[in-house]
Order: sequence, then C-alpha cells, then structure tokens
Amino acid sequence: MASVSQSSKPATERPVLLRADNIVKRFPGVVALKGVSFDLREGEIHALCGENGAGKSTLIKTLSGIHPFGSYEGQMLLDNKPLELRSTGDAETNKIAVIYQELALVPEMSVAENIFLGREPKRGAFIDWITMSEQSRALLQRFGINVDPDTRVRDLGVGLQQLVEIVKALAKESRILILDEPTAALSESEVEILLDILRDLRERGVTCVYISHKLGEVFAIADRITVLRDGASIVTLDADKTDRSEVIRNMVGREIGDLFPRHATNPGAPLLQVRDLNVAPPEGSNTRLRDISFEVRAGEVLGIGGLMGAGRSELLMHIFGAWGTRTSGDVSLGGISLNANSPARSIAAGLVMVTEDRKRYGLVLEESIGFNLSLSSLGGMTASGLLDGNREWKENRHYFDSLRVKAPGLESIVGKLSGGNQQKVVLGKALMTKPKVVFLDEPTRGIDVGAKLEVYNLINELTASGQAVVLVSSELPELMGMSDRIIMLHEGEIGGTFSRQDATPEKLLAAAMGQPVPTDHTLLV
Amino acid sequence: MATSSVSVADSALAKSPAQSDSRVPIRDFSMVIALVVIWGFFAIASPNFISARNLSNLTVELSITAILSLGMLLVILGGYIDLSIGSGVGLLGAISAVLLSQHNWPAPLAMLVAIIVAVIIWFGMGALIVTQRIPAFIITLAGLLVFKGLHWKVIQNSTIPVTHGGEDNLYSLLTTWYLPPIWGIVLGAAVFALLATGTWRARQRRESFGLSVDTREVAFARLLVTGQLIALFVLVCNGYQGIPLSALILAAAAFMVWVLTQHTRFGRYLYAIGGNEEAAHVSGIPVTKVVIGTFVIMGLITALGGFMQTAYAGSSTTTTGELLELDAIAACVIGGTSLKGGRGNVVGVLFGSLIMASLLNGMTLMAISPEIKYIARGLVLALAVWMDVRLNKGK
Repeated sequence: MASVSQSSKPATERPVLLRADNIVKRFPGVVALKGVSFDLREGEIHALCGENGAGKSTLIKTLSGIHPFGSYEGQMLLDNKPLELRSTGDAETNKIAVIYQELALVPEMSVAENIFLGREPKRGAFIDWITMSEQSRALLQRFGINVDPDTRVRDLGVGLQQLVEIVKALAKESRILILDEPTAALSESEVEILLDILRDLRERGVTCVYISHKLGEVFAIADRITVLRDGASIVTLDADKTDRSEVIRNMVGREIGDLFPRHATNPGAPLLQVRDLNVAPPEGSNTRLRDISFEVRAGEVLGIGGLMGAGRSELLMHIFGAWGTRTSGDVSLGGISLNANSPARSIAAGLVMVTEDRKRYGLVLEESIGFNLSLSSLGGMTASGLLDGNREWKENRHYFDSLRVKAPGLESIVGKLSGGNQQKVVLGKALMTKPKVVFLDEPTRGIDVGAKLEVYNLINELTASGQAVVLVSSELPELMGMSDRIIMLHEGEIGGTFSRQDATPEKLLAAAMGQPVPTDHTLLV
Repeated sequence: MATSSVSVADSALAKSPAQSDSRVPIRDFSMVIALVVIWGFFAIASPNFISARNLSNLTVELSITAILSLGMLLVILGGYIDLSIGSGVGLLGAISAVLLSQHNWPAPLAMLVAIIVAVIIWFGMGALIVTQRIPAFIITLAGLLVFKGLHWKVIQNSTIPVTHGGEDNLYSLLTTWYLPPIWGIVLGAAVFALLATGTWRARQRRESFGLSVDTREVAFARLLVTGQLIALFVLVCNGYQGIPLSALILAAAAFMVWVLTQHTRFGRYLYAIGGNEEAAHVSGIPVTKVVIGTFVIMGLITALGGFMQTAYAGSSTTTTGELLELDAIAACVIGGTSLKGGRGNVVGVLFGSLIMASLLNGMTLMAISPEIKYIARGLVLALAVWMDVRLNKGK
C-alpha cells in the first residue's frame, strides 16, 4: 500500500486524471447519453454501475475512441488538457486500454503471441521468439497467473482468456484501464485473481474504471462508485460511505407511470408448463440453466428478467428448440409434452418466438415484407404442392394493416425499413402462425416510443384472446409495467418469483443479483 | 426484355426482389448487349456460326449447359455450391453407356440405374454438408476427384458408345431426335398462347390486389417481342431438322425449376436459407431437409445432363463432362445469381447459359486451340464473379 505515495492518500484527495464533462451522445432516434459527468482520480478504482441500457457501454466507447471526438457533445480532459480521441489508436497513444466483454484474442495463437500482438519484439527483421516468451512469462508470473505463455489461447478456459486479455492490456503500460463486465465469464477463484491484480495495479498507480452489475465485487474493490441511469450520471459515491441499497436505489429511481398500458386478464388454465429444466450450453457459451420450473397460464404475461448473461434469452431459445442440450426436465404445452429440438416443431405445436436479434434471427433482410411475413406459415397456404397466392396475399395484407407497418407495400424490402417497422414484421410473422404461447425477447429494444406502445397494446390483445405471453426484458419498468408475474433469473437459476403487486425494483434487482430479497417497504423509490 | 417472358407471368405475391430489384434491369440489359456483341463477333469471324445447322447444334449445347445451370441455381440459391457435377456428368453418363452397349441392357433401365446412383450420391453429399457442417466447396471438390476416378474405372479408360450395335435408343436419341417441323409450328403457337393468357391473368390478379402493373403498351410490346423470338426460334430450327428434343427437355426443366422457385414452399425456403440461414431455422424452416433436397435435385439434373452430354458426343470418354461445373457456375453468376445465396432466377440463368454456350460454340467453330479456350473460359468466370461482387457492393 505504501509503495506508491499517492495510493496512501484517500481517493478524494488525489489529483484528477481524467474528467468527462456533460457528455451527450445521440444516435438516430435515440439519445444514448443525456449528460454524463464524472472524474477519475489518479490511482483509484472507479466503479460504474447502472442497469442494462443505462449508457455504460456508450460511455466506454467515447472513452476509447470508438465513438470518435466530434460524434458526441461535451468535453473530456486528460491531465487538464482537452482529450480528443479520433480513433482507438489515439486512446492507446494516451495509454487508455479497454477490456471488453467480448474478447479480442486470436484463439489459434499462443498466449505470448497474443500479449505482444502487433508489437512483437524483433531481432533484425525477425520476431524474437525467446524474448517474447520470456517477457510474457515474467508478466504472467508478476500477476500470479499460472499459464504457460506457449499455450494456445483456444486451449484456455474463458476465465483464463480474460486474464490473458488483461495482461495484454497491461503489457502496453496503460495508465487507465477500463474493464467492461470483466467477471461475467469468470469462476469465483478467477474473480479473486482478477481483484488481486487490480489491487496490485492500484498500488502501482494505475487508474481503473470498473464496470459491473455485481455489487459484491464493486464494494470489494472500488474506491468510488458512479451510478448511471437512463444515459445520465446520477451521483458519485465514496464506496466506504455508502451501501448497496443506496446504490440500487440510485440505479432504479424512477417512476413507472402509464407508459405501460397493461390490461390484466383473469388467467385461465396453465398453457405452458416447465418442470425442473437443466440445460447444458452449446459450444462457445457458458450459460448453464439449472432447475428451472414455471408455468404460464392462458391470458397471462409472464415477465422474465435478470442481468446480462443470466440466461433469459437462452431459456426461451432452449424451450423453443434452438439452444443448448437438455440434461433433465420436461416441457409441456397445453398438457401435451413438447420437447422440441427444432423451432419447426415448436411452431407446429403452437409456440412461437420473437427473437431479440431480429436482423440475425428474425428477418431475411434482402427480401420483401410479404416474403418475411408468411415465411413461418407457408405450410397452411399450400394446395397440391403449389403456394396459394391469393391466400398468402390476404393473410399478409391482414397483418400488414393490423400491425400498421409503415411501408409503401408488401413488396417493399424489409432491410430498408426502420427498426420499429422491422419489429412489426417479425411480430406479424410470429402471429400468423396462430400460436398459443408467444415468447417475446426484448420486443421493444431499439424502437421508438410510439412503436413500443403498439407492441404493448399487441400484448394486451394477445392475452385478451386467451394466448399466453412470455416477455423477456432488460428494462425493469417495462418488465414491471407489462407482466402479471415476474421471474428473475440469476446465473441460470430462478432468483425469485414475484406477483405484479409484490414487485418493486429493489426486490427485482436484488433477486437478479442473487442477494437476499428485501422484505420491508422502507426502500421507496 | 430478359425478364419479359417469365416474370410477367409470375404471380407470386411475395415476389423475390431478384426480380423487382432496380439493379437487375441494368444487368439484364448488359446481358443482352453482351449476347449481341458475342453473336455479332462470331457471325463475322465465322459466318457458319449463324447457319441453321450450327444454331441447331448450339441449341443442343445450350440445353446441356442450361439444364446443369438450373440445378446449380438451386444449390447456389441456398448459399451452397457444387463443384462435382462435371465429373458427375461423366460418371453417370458412363454407367448407362456401359450397361447399354456392353451388357445390352435396355436404355430406360440403364438410365434408371444411373439415376438411382445419382440420388444416393447427392443425398449423401448434401447430408454431409448440412449435418456435419463441412463446407460444400470441399465435399464437392472431393466428389469431383472421386467421380472422375470412378468414371475412368467404369469405362476402363476406353471409349464407350451410347448405342448397342449402332441401333438408336432412348439414350442416343436424347440429342439426335428432332420434332417434325409441322409439330414445331403447332408447339410454338401453343406456347405463345399459354404465355399470353398467363400474362393476362397474372396482370389482372395484380391489378385486383392493387399492385403496380406495366402499362398496356409495355405489356403488349413485351408479348410481341416474345412472340417474335418464339417464331424465329421455330423457323431457324425448322430450317435444319426441326426443334431438337433436347430443347424440349430444357423447356420442361426450366418450367419445373421456375415453378419450384416461385410457386412452392420449397423454393421460398431456399431463398430464405440463402438470404439468412439462421433466421430461416428460427422461423421454423426445415433447413436440413431443404438443403439435402436441393442436392438430390442437383443429382437428378446431373444424371440428365450426363445422358445428354454423353449422347451428344456419341460416346463416353475420359474427358466427358470435364469443367461443366465451371460453365454452370459462370452461367449462374452471369445471369445475376448471387454466390452468397438468396438471389437469382431462372430467366437470368437461361441467359447466362446462352452466353456461355455461344462462347464455347463460337470458339470451337473458329478452330481456336484448346489452350486459348481454357484461358477464355477462366477469364469469363473471373469476370462474371467480379461483376457479381461489384453489383453486390453496398448490400
């Protein structure tokens, strides 16, 4: 602690290294950052907390040059001099390193090659393999990471890969290290190694920005905490003068008004029943689903929430037949067992899913609206082997009109529509299959307020006609506003189930974070 | 004009943008210009090129190239490729030829055996590609080599005629039988009448749905040009021996592939898989079945192409079918088929095939040496793909 003079001073007394002043970042149709200010003091670990969509990732992208200077409003100062990052290269020159959730390692190369990628030590015209290997070994040892530098990265677990990524950033002798959800993929012992590394770095005078939902880690390591909400910085707190509930309150703190016009219906018989589901992830993922049981009744909206990586989308995709391998458990739809191993079977049984990533899983972008709308329903439009054009036209027209898709006509190309209208086409495609149960995964992501309201009304229409809806949403207000019941997932397990009346943001967030759910009602928003 | 005869008759309501895309007419137009230039050049360089006899030969050659290209269209639409069909043509043609001329089997039975072999092989390749996720490029490249070796084994590196004792049979007649001239005229008139009524009905239907239609003048002019082309084709063919049987086979194959791509679930699924395979899967499309089905159709078409190519040469030799896969791919790409999948149509592929067949026929007629022909084929293929990449930019 005492080896570097600055670290002995409390964080509040150290000089400011980087200052962000009222940063505003606009995307077409959305204001992602509405004014974020915070300062980073030399040698501190500064945590950024906020719900999904609060603006954390956008903020990082401005700090790393991905959103270049000029694409945002406001000012950044490094050492009291204006900081104008025009590229990620500029960030590197200024000794700012970012470690993203998605790793940027080359899996086929060795650990050493990755650490020195792009700045390999040379002897003459050739790479000096021996120096590279030795320097890597020294670096890894210094941080207590037990990995042979000659191992191929693909042979390491995700956690070790993450640590290698961090070492790679440190090898560039960065002054500021920004970590975006670094522990999402780490086991507990790996988290400990990481936290030790960060403490060690703090002693060496490296400044850290630490982004995490996991308040346990945040309080274990951060000197100060800045809370973001709806694209604005709400407050900066000293870690030793605050507690979790204050942070959560600041993360949530907003009113849930009449933005969500849910008309609850009297739920009927159970439609979808899920019992003791255990699912192993496919290759390349480490979200494992454990002991999940729930049921959805006719006319009911079941909300599923949770933090990034909690397994929300994976759960829906699995039941739909498009993700993971079931190790145990049972799913039934309307009393009939549905253990679908393909979306085609689910759709035939009356279960349809609107996926979160509509461009990847939802639409054939180069094709027309009509082509996409009827794509899942062509089976019922075929007579003696040929498509019945009249019938297809009528169905397409019906959904085009009732969903109020704003486009010149059914022959318009889907790829050229706005996000909201594309989403309506995906919804129309799902509804045309005449489902009993509809899975909606983030159905309002990236669409404007008006289109959101139309989606909410559609949910009401579905439940009013006796269909069941399962709604996954990262936005707590949406989840609370539109669901009749809410399940919060935490690391692949059910962290808590809440009725509409019981649900408060504090309780939901606590369940999502695996914390004990607060029982009193003293924490008012 | 290239899209006139068929796409007007098309009444699919969720039309593929391949036909409504604003870029396509430019490409169609450039195809017509290319064709006129090629024909003009050969007509001057080698006046025999436009003789009735050569045009009749060209029709047979076109039929073979185009039939294979239509199969290739299906494979490429789904986002895959088949490099094995040239060798497949050689192998399948040879199997029937050997059974027929050396074992004295009746032609239909000898051909049936080759067809069954084709279905089994292409089912296997399709299954490997789509279930084991091995790139189609590799599997079919392996097929190219394996089938070539099998072909040579089957014919024992010799020349096997497609007849037994010089007697005509169903197999040998595939490329040597001609429709009597009077029937050619009747058929031409009938096709034109069907086309005209089809166009009219499709037009009325689009109007009743409130969709845009061409002005009456444009529609009429299109029909008139199409009619003239049909009449010209019949007259030229009748100037020699009549419409070749192979042209009728091509017409039937083209019609079937057109119906398949535009008016069936299978075809719609194929466009969806080629456009976005993940979305197709999540939309409930049986991707595995459709892709395997496509390869099985490719196998059937390869067998048909194999019979025709072998019959046209009169016998199966070690070089039968060689490089036909590249001609087929070039024809598809020239005809506006995107190698990424999801875009392309029958009319374009027919045009692309006509360009390829004309080039090869003309060069042979000019007695251009084989080495130059190889170079020219390679350059045309590269040029076609380059055009495809250029036109796809900004997508």
